[in-house]
Amino acid sequence: MQTYDYDLLVIGAGQGGLPAAHMGANLGARVALIESAKVGGT
Amino acid sequence: MLRSAEVMHLVARRAAEFGVEVDGRTRFRMKAAVARKDDIVRGIHRSIHSALEGRSERIDFLRGEARFLNDHEVDTGDQRLSFENAIVATGARRAVPPIPGLDSIDTLDNRSALLLDEVPESLVVIGGGYVGIEFAQMYARFGSRVTLLGRNEQLAPSEDTELADLLADYLREDGIDVRTGASVTAVRADGTSKVVSAQIADESHDFQAKAVLLAAGRVGNTDRLELASAGVTTGKKGFIEVDEQLRTSQPHIWAIGDVKGGWMFTHVATYDGPIAALNAVKHHGKSTDYRIVPRTVFSDPTLASVGLTEAEARDQGIDVTVGSVPVNGARAKAIGERRGKLKAVVDSTNGEILGFHILAPHGDDLVHEAVAAMQSGGTIDRISKSIHVHPTLSEMVKAAARAAK
Repeated sequence: MQTYDYDLLVIGAGQGGLPAAHMGANLGARVALIESAKVGGT
Repeated sequence: MLRSAEVMHLVARRAAEFGVEVDGRTRFRMKAAVARKDDIVRGIHRSIHSALEGRSERIDFLRGEARFLNDHEVDTGDQRLSFENAIVATGARRAVPPIPGLDSIDTLDNRSALLLDEVPESLVVIGGGYVGIEFAQMYARFGSRVTLLGRNEQLAPSEDTELADLLADYLREDGIDVRTGASVTAVRADGTSKVVSAQIADESHDFQAKAVLLAAGRVGNTDRLELASAGVTTGKKGFIEVDEQLRTSQPHIWAIGDVKGGWMFTHVATYDGPIAALNAVKHHGKSTDYRIVPRTVFSDPTLASVGLTEAEARDQGIDVTVGSVPVNGARAKAIGERRGKLKAVVDSTNGEILGFHILAPHGDDLVHEAVAAMQSGGTIDRISKSIHVHPTLSEMVKAAARAAK
């Protein structure tokens, strides 16, 4: 079976990406959250 | 910043009404208002970072710009990562329409307009949507001479026409030159000023100002993601098309929030996030339901709404009853806020609430009574028969509900 670095990659740590990453972690996934600018979005 | 505008408005224009005498000149200090806002934002960032640090055993927080290499790998600038599932949450930014001369002048957007040191003496706002309205009123209250140019005949064109037109009247009362049906044809620099030319009812008009704020629509932040490498297709304006489970054209890649277009509100992104995560990690197959998404223009009075407008309901062939009341009552009188109107749109056959439209002080808070009542097909009785505290603004929501009986 193919293995990956992460179960879930979330691109963008704004007000959508943050709860998505937290929920992913709550569900037991190994999560990467990547942001190029400021967290929290605009 | 909106709060700073409100305080400035009350002190500079209305203090005497409430028995408050202000001696001397009232000045607005943009730097101090921006510093206050920055301090609040810093606090929010701190709490976000500490929440992420608390999850570091499960969440790796990485800095960089992700670029898809294929459907299971991204390049982050300094490393290559593989993933089983991905959620794209990159948001949207203001659109730059093809207006001649636009690249020859500096324009403000919703971010840079909150970072200024000084209030511009005059400002032309291009765009009569939510952002344009909010910034036009805020800057007028800071002391700018403001012109608001809306492309449609109605400001906030997706909202109830009567309420949107009332709001336009109130903005004019506040001293804003509101022009609707205005199609911007060109912009240019003129010394230290800028000139915006617009076609209004077949006539060309020039509007001169020290600053121009561009708020004419938004585009998805997808141009640098190389989504095509991952097999994710984008639609018009760079937005990613998704199904009701927030899945893109690539079934293990999801998109949430502004980057998928539609209702671009923070509360929609926050709603989407956990649904996409649940579907990605647990294959839950959960669908979004956007029928009851509240919308708000943070104007004064606030325009807040949920569900269908009267016109939308009638277009769907529904037999509707509309309850409509002006802003009134003991609390509104006591706080000296008498502008606005509330409308309940109800299905005549069964009393189901189809929509609620509020132009009132604190409308952004008032709308939630309707939002809660509309869950699972709620009827207007939920509001009209509930006891409301006197004297509160919420009594007006009940009055509109009773008027729809």
